Amino acid sequence: MSPVIPVGPYHPALEEPYKISLDCEGETIRDADIEVGFNFRAIEWLAERKNYVQALTLVERVCGICSNVHTLTFSRAVETIAGLEVPERARYIRVIVAEAERLHSHLLWAGVACELIGFQTLFMTCFALREQVMDVLEAISGNRVNYAMNRPGGVNRDIADPARVLAAARNVRTATERQLIPVLTTDRTVHARCAGVGLLTREDALALGAVGPTARASGLGQDIRRSAPYEIYDRLDFDVPVRTDGDVLARVTVRALEIVESCRIIEQAVEGMPEGPWSSGDFPRIPAGEACARIEGPRGEVFYYVASDGSDVPTRVRIRTPTFQNMPTVRPMVRGMTLADAPLIQASIDPCYSCTDR
Amino acid sequence: MDAEALLTGLETETGWQRRRDGCWAEVDDLDPRAMTRLLSKAEARWVTLTVMPAGTGFRLIYHWDLDGELLNIATTIVGPSVRTIADLLPAAEWVEREMHDYYALEFLGRDETPPLMLRPDDEPGLFSRTQDLGRDVDPAEYDERPTIPEGGRP
Repeated sequence: MSPVIPVGPYHPALEEPYKISLDCEGETIRDADIEVGFNFRAIEWLAERKNYVQALTLVERVCGICSNVHTLTFSRAVETIAGLEVPERARYIRVIVAEAERLHSHLLWAGVACELIGFQTLFMTCFALREQVMDVLEAISGNRVNYAMNRPGGVNRDIADPARVLAAARNVRTATERQLIPVLTTDRTVHARCAGVGLLTREDALALGAVGPTARASGLGQDIRRSAPYEIYDRLDFDVPVRTDGDVLARVTVRALEIVESCRIIEQAVEGMPEGPWSSGDFPRIPAGEACARIEGPRGEVFYYVASDGSDVPTRVRIRTPTFQNMPTVRPMVRGMTLADAPLIQASIDPCYSCTDR
Repeated sequence: MDAEALLTGLETETGWQRRRDGCWAEVDDLDPRAMTRLLSKAEARWVTLTVMPAGTGFRLIYHWDLDGELLNIATTIVGPSVRTIADLLPAAEWVEREMHDYYALEFLGRDETPPLMLRPDDEPGLFSRTQDLGRDVDPAEYDERPTIPEGGRP
């Protein structure tokens, strides 16, 4: 007998709805079917009925974790249509906030992964570090989520206390290098639970259009910050960690190393941030036109297409989030694995169903 | 292979343009399957498909990434169908189902197109059916009724 085990759409541990049906042979998973859309909000449809100010606020609600990348990507698409230049200081602020968002996202994920592995003490370490980042984001924006920092032509707020941001970045980097990375990469428990589990080959990653750390853990070196630099990334010194093993351990390692790189980026950006304006002034009138924009979010490439007919309401807003591309990779990852590995494998792509469903 | 050579291979009559947001090509009678084979062979990475209503048909923009350069290959179709590429490129499987949900756009060659965002009993074409709903701002009246406040501050 070959039972199909339905998991979801409601989960006791995961506060987002999705469903995965696991076709099993004993304890071994033969195949999986993934269903999404339980949180579908038609945000693209709604954005085509809001003016640009309202649409900017709306797209920030696509995701509760990486909300900042959505306003940044939308703003950059609008800036391209309008031919807007962004002041230098605003570019630095955008990068600092984007990397702080990556830090809190990666640390959140690392904590959740540790809990799934059964490593409670490391879970606490991750969340203690994340809290420092959340405090910095709150100090900058006034909010712990939905920071409302970006707008076409600049940012909505300055960073009043760069020294605090710098201190937090250094602290997180030191703790990550001394505590988190050694444990995540060498601890026997982590290794036993993650090595060789949930394999995604380079070929499958490319065929399925995987992005972000999921792709980079399978040997694809793509990172929009490096391959198509935006804001000030082309002036910063940072590495793009890539692993070729394609298993859960590789995805854990890539994200852990990216925490260090994000801290390095923040440190450089804070130290090099010039004085000057941080906004180009009034909200611009958007001419007719169309443009695409891409940002490297915590989970990978975020893509926006915006079309304008010259009115103050966009005629088309297309949003492609990273998890939309990464979620189908779970299917080849779970094939041949044991049932007990399925939760960890799903978590290893750092899924965001709110983003996927939009 | 660089973007220029690839886009030349698509035999676009209007040529291609390099813009601030990547390379753009408008291709009449685009063969999406030939395009997919061409770009997959060059290891271009699939990004997504954008669909929008255009007259009685649709404007389709296929977005790819070639070594960091965004390639946007656009075409306009008159009818409600286009050939699938999902069998050639699994990365396009979900987006075809999504666009079927939104616009009832048929992807010819698929065995089935189950809903992705909608539920099994929902009628596809949600965006097309509701195209005129909620559009309370008439672009023609923009100068008289700006919804962005004076001074421009959000």
